[in-house]
Amino acid sequence: MATGIKQQDRQDAIAGWLFMTPTLIIFGIFVFIPILFALYFSLTDWNGISPPGEAAFVGLRNYQDVLFGGGIRQQDFYKALKNTTYFALGVVPVQTALALFLAVVVNQRFLRFKSFFRTAYYFPAITSSVAISLIFLFLYQKDGLINEALSFVTFGAWKPVAWMADARGIFHIWLNWLGVNSERVPWLANTSLLGLSVWDWISGPSIALLAIMLMNTWTTIGTLMVIFLAALQDMPPQVYEAAQMDGAGTWTIFRRITLPLLRPTTFFVVTLGLMGTYQVFDQVYVMSSGGPAKTTLTVAYLVYRSGFNNFEMGMGLAVAILLFIIIFILTMIQRRVTEGEKA
Amino acid sequence: MQARRVVLGLVALLTVALLAACSGAPVESGSDAAAGSDAASGDAASGAVELQLMGWASSEAENDRLQSVVDNINEAQDGFTLTMNLVPDYDTKLQTSMAGGAPPDVFYIDSFKFPDLVASGSVIPVQNIENPDDFYPNLREAFSSDGEFYCPPKDFSTLGLIYNTDMFDAAGLEYPTTDWTWDDLHAAAEALTDAENGVVGLALSPDMARWLAFLYQAGGSVVNDDFTAMTINSPEAQEALAFYVGLVQDGFAAQPADLSAGWNGEAFGQGAAAMTIEGNWIMPFMTDQFPDINFAVAELPAGPAGKATLSFTVCYDIPANGKNSEAASQAVNLLTNETGMAAWTDLGLAMPTRASLRDGWLEQYPDQEAFLNGAEYAYPWQFRPGFSDVLDTFNSGLQEAMAGTKSVDAVLSDTETVGTEVLNR
Repeated sequence: MATGIKQQDRQDAIAGWLFMTPTLIIFGIFVFIPILFALYFSLTDWNGISPPGEAAFVGLRNYQDVLFGGGIRQQDFYKALKNTTYFALGVVPVQTALALFLAVVVNQRFLRFKSFFRTAYYFPAITSSVAISLIFLFLYQKDGLINEALSFVTFGAWKPVAWMADARGIFHIWLNWLGVNSERVPWLANTSLLGLSVWDWISGPSIALLAIMLMNTWTTIGTLMVIFLAALQDMPPQVYEAAQMDGAGTWTIFRRITLPLLRPTTFFVVTLGLMGTYQVFDQVYVMSSGGPAKTTLTVAYLVYRSGFNNFEMGMGLAVAILLFIIIFILTMIQRRVTEGEKA
Repeated sequence: MQARRVVLGLVALLTVALLAACSGAPVESGSDAAAGSDAASGDAASGAVELQLMGWASSEAENDRLQSVVDNINEAQDGFTLTMNLVPDYDTKLQTSMAGGAPPDVFYIDSFKFPDLVASGSVIPVQNIENPDDFYPNLREAFSSDGEFYCPPKDFSTLGLIYNTDMFDAAGLEYPTTDWTWDDLHAAAEALTDAENGVVGLALSPDMARWLAFLYQAGGSVVNDDFTAMTINSPEAQEALAFYVGLVQDGFAAQPADLSAGWNGEAFGQGAAAMTIEGNWIMPFMTDQFPDINFAVAELPAGPAGKATLSFTVCYDIPANGKNSEAASQAVNLLTNETGMAAWTDLGLAMPTRASLRDGWLEQYPDQEAFLNGAEYAYPWQFRPGFSDVLDTFNSGLQEAMAGTKSVDAVLSDTETVGTEVLNR
C-alpha cells in the first residue's frame, strides 16, 4: 500500500514537471538567460553597437562609476533615484488608498449601475499607456483642459502652468513660500551628498513629474481596485454578521474587520505598486524624455538613455541591475513591516 | 489510467516539438545566410543582389519621393535591387541590428551620431564616392574621420530666422535683412511682443541645437579644435547665453511649452510668436498645417563676431563586415550623384549638398535662399563620441536658466565640468 502511494507521488511529480517544461523552457530562454547576460554585460564596457563578443571585461567599474564615481554618471543616477523615489512615495500610498476606497464603494450591495462604475474605473487600465500619455500631453498644455478646469474651479485664481515644461520642485515652491531658499540658507546648496546638493535632494517632485504621477495614479487605480474587489467579495459574511450583532458601526467594521482581513491583498497591491513605480518608463519616454532639467529622469529611463543615446550599454545594464537590487530590498523591507504588524 | 497515459504522451510530444522548434531556428537562419552569400558572390549569374535601405519615416510626401528615387535606381541597373525600410524609433533599431550582426546594407547617419558610430567601428567608408569635391567642404568634413570622407551627405538644412510678414506689417517694421544684428533682433522682438494677446516676438527652444548658432555668432566655441579642452566657459559664451536667456526673461521671447506648443514651428504657426529660429523642415510643416500664415525666411542676425548658423545633415553609409559593400556603395553613389540628389532635393524639403546643384535648386525655391546662403558660414551639428552627456547637461541648465532658477554662469560652468569629464574618459 505504502509503495503504491509513493509510486503515485512519483508519477505525479513527473507529470508536474512535464506540464511545467514548456513554461520553464520559455522562461529560461526569454527571462533567465537574458538576466544572466545582463549581469555579465554590466561588468563590461560594451557600447551596444559592436558585436557583444568584443566588449572588454571591466569588473565592477560601471558600478563604481555610477555609485561613487563623482562625475555626471553618479549625479544622474542619484538624480534618477531621487525622482523615482519621490514618484513612488507619492503614487503608491495614494493609488492604494483610492483603489481601496473605490473597491469598497463598488462593492456596496445596494449601489445602482454597479457594473457601469466597475467598467468605468477599470477602463484606463486596459488602454495603451502610450495612447494615454499622448492625450495627456494635450491636456497638460498651458492652454489645455486641465489648466482651464483648475482655473474654472478656482474662479480664475489658478494661474496656468506649462505642466510638462515646469522643472520647479514642489517642496522648493513650498519652502520658498516659507522664505527658505538656497540663497538665504547657503549650506543647503553648498553641502553635497552623493553628487547632489542637499537643496537638490529636498526638491520634491517637479511639476512635470507631478503631472506624470497624477496620470499614472489614474491609470493604475483600476487594476488595483479589481484586486481589492476580488478580495472583498471573498470576505466571510459570518464575520460581518457577528460584528453587527456585537453592535459595531460601519466605520469600526471597516477598520477592525475589513482592513485586517485585507492585509495580504494590501501587501500584494503595495508590492505591485512599488515595482511598477520604480520601473516607470513609458510615460517618461513619450511625454518628457527625462526633461525638463532632468526632473523626470527615472532610473528605468536612465537605463535606456545610457544604452541607446549614450552608447554605454554596460553602464546602462549596471543601472538596471542596481534597480533590481533596490526593488528587491524595498519589497523585503515592506514584507517585514507587514509581517511585523501581524505579530 | 489510459487517459492519463495519453495526456502525458501529448505533453511529452509538445515539449519535444517546442525544443525542436527552438533548436531548428539557428539551422534555418544559417541556411539563409549561406543562400545570401551565394547570391552575393555570384550576382552576375544568379541575378540582382537584394539590398536593404533603412531610414527614418518622415512625411508621406517625403517617403513617396524617396521611393520614386529608389525605383528609378532599381530600373537603371541590374546589379542590385534596393528595398526601402523606413522605421520609427530609428536609432534604437539601427543600434540593435548592428549589435545583432545583421545591419541593413545602406542606412542614414545623422551628423551628431556619426562620431559615435565611427568610434564603435561598425561603419566603413563608402567606396569610390563620385565627385567628392562637389560637396560643400563643411558637410564633407562633418562626415570625415581622420581625414577620410566616409559617406556622402544626402541633404542638409541650416537654421534661419522665420518671420511672420503680417505681424511685421502690422507693427510697421522693416523686414529682417542680411545686415541684421542681435540689437535689431532684440528691438524687433520687443516691438512685436503683444503681452495682452499672448504674442511674443520670438519662440526660442531651450535647446543647444538652437543656441549654438548664437555662441558661434559671438565668436565662442564649445570645445577646442583637437577636442582636448572645453572652451564653453568663456566671456563670449556668457554674452551669447545672457542674450538668449535675456530675451526670455524680458518677456520678448518664450519657449514653445509656454506658448502651448510642442515645438517652435507650432508656436509660430499658431501665431503665438512673430519670429522663430528653425531649419528647412519648417517649410512643408507650415504648408501642411498653417497654409494661411504669411511668412518668410531671413538669414540669422550677425553677432559681435559676425554671421554663423548651424547645419544639420544626414548621410548614407554602409556597415563594416557587410556582405554587399560593393553593391551598397554603388547604390549610395546612385542616390547621391548629381542625378540622384537632384531627383530627391527637387521636392524642396531639404537642400542639395552638392555645390553644382545650388543654382538649379535656388531657381525652384527662391524663398529658401536664406537657408542656402547659410551653407557658407554654417557649423555642423557635431562634436565627438560621448557628447550626449554634455548636451543633456547644457539643455537641462538652459531650461532652468530660462525659468530663472539658474544663473548663466552656473549653466556654463556645469557644462564645462561635464565636458571635461567626457573628454578625459
